[in-house]
Amino acid sequence: MTDLNAYRQNARTWLASVADQFGREARRGLAVEDDLALGRRYMAARFEAGYAGINWPVEMGGQGLGHLEKVGFDSEEMTFGMPSGYFGISLGMPVPILIRFGEDKAWVKERVLAALKGEEIWCQLFSEPAGGSDLAGLRTKAVPDGNGWSLTGQKLWTSWAQYCDYGVIVARTDPTVAKHKGLTYFWVDMKAPGVEVRPIKLAGGDSHVNEVFFDDVKLTDAQRMSPVGGGFAVAMATLMIERYVATDSGGFGPHLDLFIDMAREIEVGGKAALEDGRVRSAIARNYAMRSGLEAITQRAMLMMEAGMVPGPEGSLNKLVAVRSRQRLSELALDLQGNTGLAFDAHAFAKEDWASSWLNAPTGRIAGGADEMLLNTIAEKILGLPQDHRPDKSVPFNQIPA
Amino acid sequence: MSLLYDEGQQAIASESRRVADARADKARLLALLEQTGDYDTAFWDMAREQGWTALALPEAFGGLDLGLVELGIVAQAGGAATAGAPFLTANYGAAQALLGSDDESLRQRWLPLLASGEAIAAMAFAEGQSPLPDRPTTRLTASGLTGEKPGVTGAAHAQIAVIWALAEGEPALVVAELRDEQRSVIDGYDNSRGYADLNFAAAPASLILKGDAALRLARDVLARMAVVTAHEQTGGAEALMFIARDYAVTRKAFGQPIGAFQSVKHRIAELYALVEIARANCIHAASREGQPDFLKAAAAARLSATEAYDTAARDCVQVHGGIGVTWETGLHLHMRRARSLAIEQGNAMWWEDLLVSQLTGVAA
Repeated sequence: MTDLNAYRQNARTWLASVADQFGREARRGLAVEDDLALGRRYMAARFEAGYAGINWPVEMGGQGLGHLEKVGFDSEEMTFGMPSGYFGISLGMPVPILIRFGEDKAWVKERVLAALKGEEIWCQLFSEPAGGSDLAGLRTKAVPDGNGWSLTGQKLWTSWAQYCDYGVIVARTDPTVAKHKGLTYFWVDMKAPGVEVRPIKLAGGDSHVNEVFFDDVKLTDAQRMSPVGGGFAVAMATLMIERYVATDSGGFGPHLDLFIDMAREIEVGGKAALEDGRVRSAIARNYAMRSGLEAITQRAMLMMEAGMVPGPEGSLNKLVAVRSRQRLSELALDLQGNTGLAFDAHAFAKEDWASSWLNAPTGRIAGGADEMLLNTIAEKILGLPQDHRPDKSVPFNQIPA
Repeated sequence: MSLLYDEGQQAIASESRRVADARADKARLLALLEQTGDYDTAFWDMAREQGWTALALPEAFGGLDLGLVELGIVAQAGGAATAGAPFLTANYGAAQALLGSDDESLRQRWLPLLASGEAIAAMAFAEGQSPLPDRPTTRLTASGLTGEKPGVTGAAHAQIAVIWALAEGEPALVVAELRDEQRSVIDGYDNSRGYADLNFAAAPASLILKGDAALRLARDVLARMAVVTAHEQTGGAEALMFIARDYAVTRKAFGQPIGAFQSVKHRIAELYALVEIARANCIHAASREGQPDFLKAAAAARLSATEAYDTAARDCVQVHGGIGVTWETGLHLHMRRARSLAIEQGNAMWWEDLLVSQLTGVAA
């Protein structure tokens, strides 16, 4: 057994030992606040067990191991349905950026430890009403104010902001230069005066994203994490931290096995659904797609183990898997017909078809819309030209609204 | 077997690609489309020179003792060049079938000839529209082999055929030397594949294997050939993706390269997704040769490669506009090949059903 396999097996053993306490069954039916509280206890236990900050430096409270151990643990953790989702963005992007760009190391370490133990949560304040895919089009502004800055504007789609203690934010500090050159990166105290968080209820009924309003929020210059005007590069660094993360070829919807189990109980036109050519075709196509994505991931892991850089095809998982999840979920609901109309807003998207279907569109938009991913593939991998961009090189304040 | 190509396999990949591209000749391939009963002899001679025919056969019979991974790599290079001769896959399939026989004399007789490429084989499993019928109507009796096999790849040129038949009421694999009066060459849309209908009337033939073991062997052989073909399809699809890309960055309309329009660039980016999924499935399937999950892996490779090649053929022509439908541009070489390869070794519906039977235990 390789070291990596042994590591994963140990992780699995530990996860199994706390599954009764924190896993999917323990969470079933919990209100979100109770689930979050359980999540904080889980994070503390995970920290104690030595599975927090797996690939982070030891001096920052991490384990000092590699990316593969991290992905290995995450993949194992995913199968238990642990309540770690609230901390995913916090530990995935803002806190690593804090480690990299934060100046006051003692303060940074305090924050990192609190974040790893689930005591504090960080959010990422990037998207705005006028800038989602077009991040550099954001309008929230930070203007010099004494020795510091005053922050005013609105962010949108900020995950878990209502539970967050801190956030990282990109704001416009110079509207007279081209749009991506006038941005600066800060951290912000989410409990500071002038910060207002309003949850947004999503189509599936939950409210994990928010609008966040900033009204003359005071920042010290020590909260600045990039050169003035150098915020876009740090924002890009945030998004590039880990291209190969723990993936799910099911697009974070139910596994194909669940579809097959469901279809076994169902009839189409008086015969077993599994004998129906349309159903069989859908199963076969879904299997082939997932098998390809899994082979891509497996190959990437082997390459990293061998010290090589994996290919760009790893970016396909999100694009391909979520679309397939949508189609399979629609078919599952179709097959259940009149017997499948019930909806449980608290059901898990990984085991419930209606929840999977209704929440799937988010997966095709958040973290890079399908169309943006296609642009990236076309431009960065295949060398096709950029889109026509009328706002290119135009000072931000002269771009027609 | 690993999912990562080792140095030797990478060398085979770059060398086979180099050789196949260097010897590719569009004019020759276009001419072959209008000739019935000819094949790309230049490609086949090259395949023999390069030792590709021997790649995946045991050393004891003149082979190089490599496997499906290496043969797949070569097939991918061939597919990219729409290389003409179908025998690389069929000879491998025939050899795999003969290796499953207990009859050492049969192996001694044919395997060295298949390894050197001196003999050309055809695989005659299908009947009617079924790629591998449960109960074939072709019969092997004391008086010989009798029955019809439609549209057999390479049968216009093959010296031997491996045939799916019924022997004493049981399914069986049979090998027979072909005679000219048994073949009716088909004038088709991809003529260099050497399609012919075979008609046996009390023909001399030898039993390879019968019973349940024959069914298992036939499926395994068909799956192995399907994995080779899937590599070939993936090679073709990838070539088309790059042809589309190259055209989209040079052809201008409305004052910019057409590849700057999202309707065009996204179409090509979608091809990238299909090609990479097919490629990953191919590599995975080849690495599962001989394992219990091989049929499932082969089916996944086959389905995703067929989808990739068909879609690439459709969309690459579309990206080209009018020039894409001309005879001379030759994209129809890929269009034709995408279809012929989609049908050889069993169509998508057959593979879907096989895969779902494997996954669920429920037959269609």
